[in-house]
Amino acid sequence: MNKTTRLSRRDFIKLSTNVLFGLSGLLGLSGLIRYFSYLPATETPTEFDLGDVASYPIGSRTVRSDIPAVIYNRQGEILAYSLVCTHLGCTIENNDNGFACPCHGSQFDRDGVVLEGPAQKPLKRLRVEVLENNMLRLYTG
Amino acid sequence: MPRYRVFIVISILAFGVIFSSSVFVGASASSQAITLSQVTPTFDISRLNQPPTVIPPAQADNGAQVYWGMCMPCHGDHGQGLTEEWRDSFPPDKRDCWQSGCHGSDHPKNSFEIPTTGAPALSGAGALSRFSNSFELNHHIQQNMPLFPTGSLTSEEAWSLTAYILRMNDRQPNGFTLSEVNGSAIPVHQKVKSPQSTIPGLLTLIGILILTAIGLELQPKFDHTKPNFFHHLHPPSIPAKQSRFRYTLGAGGMAVFLSVILLVTGLLEMYYYIPTSDQAAISVETIVSLVPLGNLIRNLHYWSAQFLVIVMTIHLLRVALTGAYAPPRRFNHVLGLGLLVFTLLLDFTGYVLRWDEGIRWALVVGANLIKTIPWIGAGLYQFVIGGSEPGNATLTRFYTWHIFGLTLGEAILIVWHIFRVRRDGGISVPPPVERIEKDRITRFELLKREVLVMIIVGIILLLFSMIVPAPIKQPISDTTALTGNSRAPWFFLWVQQLLKFGDPFLLGILTPVLVVIALGVMPYLLPNANCAELGRWFPRGNRIAQILTVLLFLVILVLTFLGAISQ
Repeated sequence: MNKTTRLSRRDFIKLSTNVLFGLSGLLGLSGLIRYFSYLPATETPTEFDLGDVASYPIGSRTVRSDIPAVIYNRQGEILAYSLVCTHLGCTIENNDNGFACPCHGSQFDRDGVVLEGPAQKPLKRLRVEVLENNMLRLYTG
Repeated sequence: MPRYRVFIVISILAFGVIFSSSVFVGASASSQAITLSQVTPTFDISRLNQPPTVIPPAQADNGAQVYWGMCMPCHGDHGQGLTEEWRDSFPPDKRDCWQSGCHGSDHPKNSFEIPTTGAPALSGAGALSRFSNSFELNHHIQQNMPLFPTGSLTSEEAWSLTAYILRMNDRQPNGFTLSEVNGSAIPVHQKVKSPQSTIPGLLTLIGILILTAIGLELQPKFDHTKPNFFHHLHPPSIPAKQSRFRYTLGAGGMAVFLSVILLVTGLLEMYYYIPTSDQAAISVETIVSLVPLGNLIRNLHYWSAQFLVIVMTIHLLRVALTGAYAPPRRFNHVLGLGLLVFTLLLDFTGYVLRWDEGIRWALVVGANLIKTIPWIGAGLYQFVIGGSEPGNATLTRFYTWHIFGLTLGEAILIVWHIFRVRRDGGISVPPPVERIEKDRITRFELLKREVLVMIIVGIILLLFSMIVPAPIKQPISDTTALTGNSRAPWFFLWVQQLLKFGDPFLLGILTPVLVVIALGVMPYLLPNANCAELGRWFPRGNRIAQILTVLLFLVILVLTFLGAISQ
């Protein structure tokens, strides 16, 4: 008889109950995580109509603070950059060199290149399409 | 007790100061209220000019433009109605508006008739008497105005006109944007003070304080032996030396007192606060401007919350610099730090509940900081923010956490913390054999001292609430992101300053967490004061921890200062 390797009846029941409690706890936790995992459908618009191409003459620089984005016309080519700071998401503001973030002081030049941190990444370039009727559409997505 | 006399004198002095200043404030307010109506004998043509453009325009400024274009010809340049004086501003052949068929002999084909009573005045005594609130006024404007063609205004134009007419009558609450949802709450005839005077509330509260003080002064004379419930919360007696203010700084008691004030004022605010993104800031304005005593209650809530952070910091410094967290009080030190963290979270969620332009960037930055946490960042962001970007769901969640989750946690921690104080043997003192001073004070005396501290803190709180109003700015709107409000709340300015130096996760999340952990493990890892040196300032035993704590405190202080002065 080798008694030491065998689990006593009392210990077995104790262990079983603990395992069951643990499992029920995990089950409850998984339910809670599932409950919190719901992500509502996003309502944030990702397409913006910018109006007629003609309202962006060559050499112009237009800030649309509602998007927020800046739209350039460089020799007939329409460029757009997001004005959301790549550091922590504040909306950046115009200054002499280009743009500066009011929250943590990042600086960007007119083409979105980082001049001064803490931001690491350049401003996001946004896609602009010219539709058939010469209207512009901006995509932030 | 001579000490007792002192606070009665202080209360009465404070009463006197506030009463005299109330007279002063009242006097200056009434001098502002007097506006001279100027009578111009000859017509000044500049009265017909378009109103100046205001950027950014308030709702009433838009209304002024609409009014100038559509309403002014009949209702006058300052809402006086179609008076003879105003009619004389018209070209001579167009002055017979009193007759039916407007514009006299050459009235346009589809023109309209002016009612025989003329166009009524919109401002001045007796004007608008048929309307009780802004909703009714707006409804009338939209249904019946302008006479030709009736009902041609958009809803937005009608509301901006309503706002302008309220402004004409000096009845527009500052910062409100009128709409269907709040219109019926904004009266047309009752003059809105903006924000409400805090004087009546202060007088009420100071009256309560003085009556309580006199009651407490008289009470022990009749009742020496029976301890009441509050006495029973304290040990029968405690060592005299360690119960001195210069040892405890009274910070723990102050923190409890401020928490109670926060609970009561917070509950009162909940009766009017509406936690939706389009209503939150407006409902705060309602509390401040319309609810009787609402401004004072909100200011008390705000200032208690700010003071609580300061008082807790002082308490933490006191415990560290007296080495009081030595065993068996190590765990209670950790509980206390938990309370500080919960308080900061409560302060931040409460700050966001304003949902005005002032909190926009702090919320965006805080939310994006969560995203930078490796592995769990995205999930945690969704849990906290409730969507892909801050919005109505965020406000609802912050509200729930502020009034329930965090408050419950804070309450449990407070009870646990105080229970541990008693369980660990009360305030930290050397063991009886090594104690030099054997004097003790009774719980009656202790409670009296606590009440004294509460009254002094209460008076300071009232003075701050009267002088410095809690901030509120215009509601967050999607179209007009205002710049210039990019500063974090003051207790997180040091984090904002740190974030300017580099990686968001390392500096914005990990560093604050490490600061808390470092403070928490101090009693476990660093040498502690030995029991003979307990109960006094700067014991030799935990010198390293004292230096570490002071250094951390100074660094945070300097960072806060740098954050405050930048831009």
